[in-house]
Amino acid sequence: MKVGEKKKELLINLLSLVGFVLLWQAILILTREGIFSIPFIRLRDIPTPVETWNALLGSMFTHTYGPSLTYGIYNHVFASLERVIEGGIIAFIIGVPVGIGVGYSKLIGNIFNPLIEIVRNMPPMAWIPIAIFIFVSGGSIFIVFIGVVFPIILNTIQGVRSTDERLLDAAKTLGASESMIVTKVVIPSAFPSIMTGLRIGLGVGWMAIVAAEMVIRSPVGLGYFIWNMGDLGRYAEMIAGMIVIGVIGYMMNISILLLQRRFIKWAD
Amino acid sequence: MGRLILESVTKKFNSFLALENVSFEVADGEFVCLLGPSGCGKTTVLRLAAGLEAPIGGNLFLDGKKIEGVNKECGFVFQEYALFPWRTVKENIEFGPQAKGLDKKECNRISKHYIDLVGLNGFENHYPKELSGGMKQRVGIARAYANHPKLLLMDEPFGALDAQTRNLMQGELLRIWEKEHISVLFVTHSVDEAVFLGDKVVVMSARPGKVKEIFDVKLPRPRIRTSLEANIIRDKVLTSLGMEIKLAMKEK
Amino acid sequence: MKNSIKIFSIVIFVIFTIFVAGCLQSKQTPVVSEPINLVKMSGQEMIQKLGTGEISGFIMWEPYPAIAVTKGLGKDLILSGKIWKDHPCCVVAYDQDWYKATNNSDEILKRMALVQLRSVEYINNAKQSDSNDHNELINFTMQFGGMTDPAAANLSLADVEFVYNTNIPDTTTFIRKIQDFGIFVPEKWNQSGYKNASDYANSLVTNKYVDWAINNKDANSSIISLKEPVTVRYGYLINDIHELPFYVGWQKGYYRDVGINISIAEGAPFQNGAFEMQKGFKSNTIDIGSLGIPPVIIHRINSNDFSNDDTRVGVIAGMNNEGSIIVVANNITSLKELSGKTVGFPGPGTIQHVLFLMAADKEGLKVSV
Repeated sequence: MKVGEKKKELLINLLSLVGFVLLWQAILILTREGIFSIPFIRLRDIPTPVETWNALLGSMFTHTYGPSLTYGIYNHVFASLERVIEGGIIAFIIGVPVGIGVGYSKLIGNIFNPLIEIVRNMPPMAWIPIAIFIFVSGGSIFIVFIGVVFPIILNTIQGVRSTDERLLDAAKTLGASESMIVTKVVIPSAFPSIMTGLRIGLGVGWMAIVAAEMVIRSPVGLGYFIWNMGDLGRYAEMIAGMIVIGVIGYMMNISILLLQRRFIKWAD
Repeated sequence: MGRLILESVTKKFNSFLALENVSFEVADGEFVCLLGPSGCGKTTVLRLAAGLEAPIGGNLFLDGKKIEGVNKECGFVFQEYALFPWRTVKENIEFGPQAKGLDKKECNRISKHYIDLVGLNGFENHYPKELSGGMKQRVGIARAYANHPKLLLMDEPFGALDAQTRNLMQGELLRIWEKEHISVLFVTHSVDEAVFLGDKVVVMSARPGKVKEIFDVKLPRPRIRTSLEANIIRDKVLTSLGMEIKLAMKEK
Repeated sequence: MKNSIKIFSIVIFVIFTIFVAGCLQSKQTPVVSEPINLVKMSGQEMIQKLGTGEISGFIMWEPYPAIAVTKGLGKDLILSGKIWKDHPCCVVAYDQDWYKATNNSDEILKRMALVQLRSVEYINNAKQSDSNDHNELINFTMQFGGMTDPAAANLSLADVEFVYNTNIPDTTTFIRKIQDFGIFVPEKWNQSGYKNASDYANSLVTNKYVDWAINNKDANSSIISLKEPVTVRYGYLINDIHELPFYVGWQKGYYRDVGINISIAEGAPFQNGAFEMQKGFKSNTIDIGSLGIPPVIIHRINSNDFSNDDTRVGVIAGMNNEGSIIVVANNITSLKELSGKTVGFPGPGTIQHVLFLMAADKEGLKVSV
């Protein structure tokens, strides 16, 4: 029964996606025939699914026209991903210990909480102007770091604080030292939350890097690609790029979710 | 070995008086059951014995030494099992030996021994979520025992089990206890359980907890639940407890 | 649980190793085969980043090259005139929708061409250091170009050739180059219906207003002025010395003398020509504007909605020729040395983009955008 239900769900998911694409195509065809329009919106300039698909295929790989070399979406994806992963790793290395410290120790919590609470409400985008100024290479990795680190810290804190009291009691009565309690009880118990923090954080970081690339100067990156295409009036490529961004964000989310399920077999 | 003395122990939580002048003793190798209405502070007594809490008045002694701070010579068994969900059965049991700093071989030997003792052979690599309630509590007991405690503290360990499993586990506990004989302080709500298991039953009053009455259960082992002598003792205990339960309910 | 930590750390380690390997590898690739990386940025950023070494050069309209050189941050490598002598650069264009909706648009355009002519003549005279108007011109240059150093102003004027004529053959050449570089969206080009580059150029550019202006250049302003003054919403590029004639005409009242009130269009001054086309002309917030001819060529096709032709413009006069410079860091001596390095430019589809590609093409280099 479970398998059958899952298949049904999957079918509905796929069909609805196809449905939206068809709707998109239909609206545009109607608009271009003059039958349909929305005030204040230039619907006609929006490309159709077909045009977008062609643009996606056409700009997937690097092209050369004489001296002009245009990097393909393929290259841009890897450039952006690389930045997200690098920023994400640094955020993980810094964020998890900070989260554990703040969550476990009241003193450390009191010291760092005010700072964390203020800074975490600054969106990564707000850091862009100063990052461009301070970092020689534009600071795109820094922007990712800002985006990823706060969900990690907050979720880690939550994971640590919600450690079952009784597990702590059990560990104490079994003779565990404080460091053993932290490493062998608190951290494993917080692990699912930490992973959730990483997953959410990477999502934020991904969106941040695309926005940052539009502003920070570097020749490859999905954000830069989209902005560039806009400057050239190549709207189909722009939308193709946006869809790629969405799909990759989705894939990142799912892959960590699967990793979570595989490695956290013991959770309910 | 494993002689617990409570001497005029008083415990307050903020302004809330939980225990008042509690005194009793668990003799060397004795199985003592602590009985009382809800909220009378039975669990608090256990936590004080474990060193998880400290009294504001009076003292606790284990083998003549004052209990100060977490007591590593007690094993604690929880009603909700409190097993580490990310550790297998074997790894859960090995927690205590690891905390002691024993090497892998030794931890292995210990966990093997106790898995066998509590009857969980074949389940070493299972995770707690894959076990039934009774099995989980066996792990809890094995884990407490693996630390070679002098005193076993049990907080309504069978409270979450169904009646049949409960009876079964009581028998199992006694079987294990006969094999490796240590002192036990066992908290329970159930008069039947207290009389079946204990050498001594301490009845506590409603809050604030005081020792109301102590009954000796001088019945031969193995115990017969329905023997005449058992019934007589059970009746006495029930009466004593019954009055306290009424008082406790009035308070609510 | 221990196993999962082990596997997790191995995965992290592997990813880390791949990155290190990737970074090392990219340093090993020979510089020669690497493309020159053009990156879009504003003129301010170009000067700043050339100074810090983040970029190794830029190609930009005056006055930015002059500012960078006078500050000692870099030197001129190639003047755009060397890439293509007398190439057209900025032009004056009108919005087709405005043209159709305005009764006396032809009369207005004639006088716009006339003012352009007058401004250019003024500038060419005042450029001479012994001219009476020289100081006034330098002031205009500094104000319009956002400069504080008269030396930079002088230098920037020297590199720009101000004109008022249009040039259809050169426009045709431009269109062909843009086709060769694959910039047009193929479907859009087809929709335009232009048979070839020459066809497009002829439809886009007209010299008739300039011809009228030449014939009437000595006429008395009061006679020739429009009977009823009109307001024209004008669009232009930010800090672009190429468009100095517009500023001169505005400040010296030449437009007012012929009955035209200049009102600055919404969004002006624009970052680059692409913006002026897409945001200004396309939304009908510009009546007449000046900008580089390549953005006109590109966006009239790519950004156009052919059902209503909203991005259609007509070019009526030139603004300037040449006037862009490839500036490089002091230690660079040839275009080839920019391989693998970052070079700033005002954006894809601008004339600087096309010029740079042409320069690179001559030396067989590749340029990524």
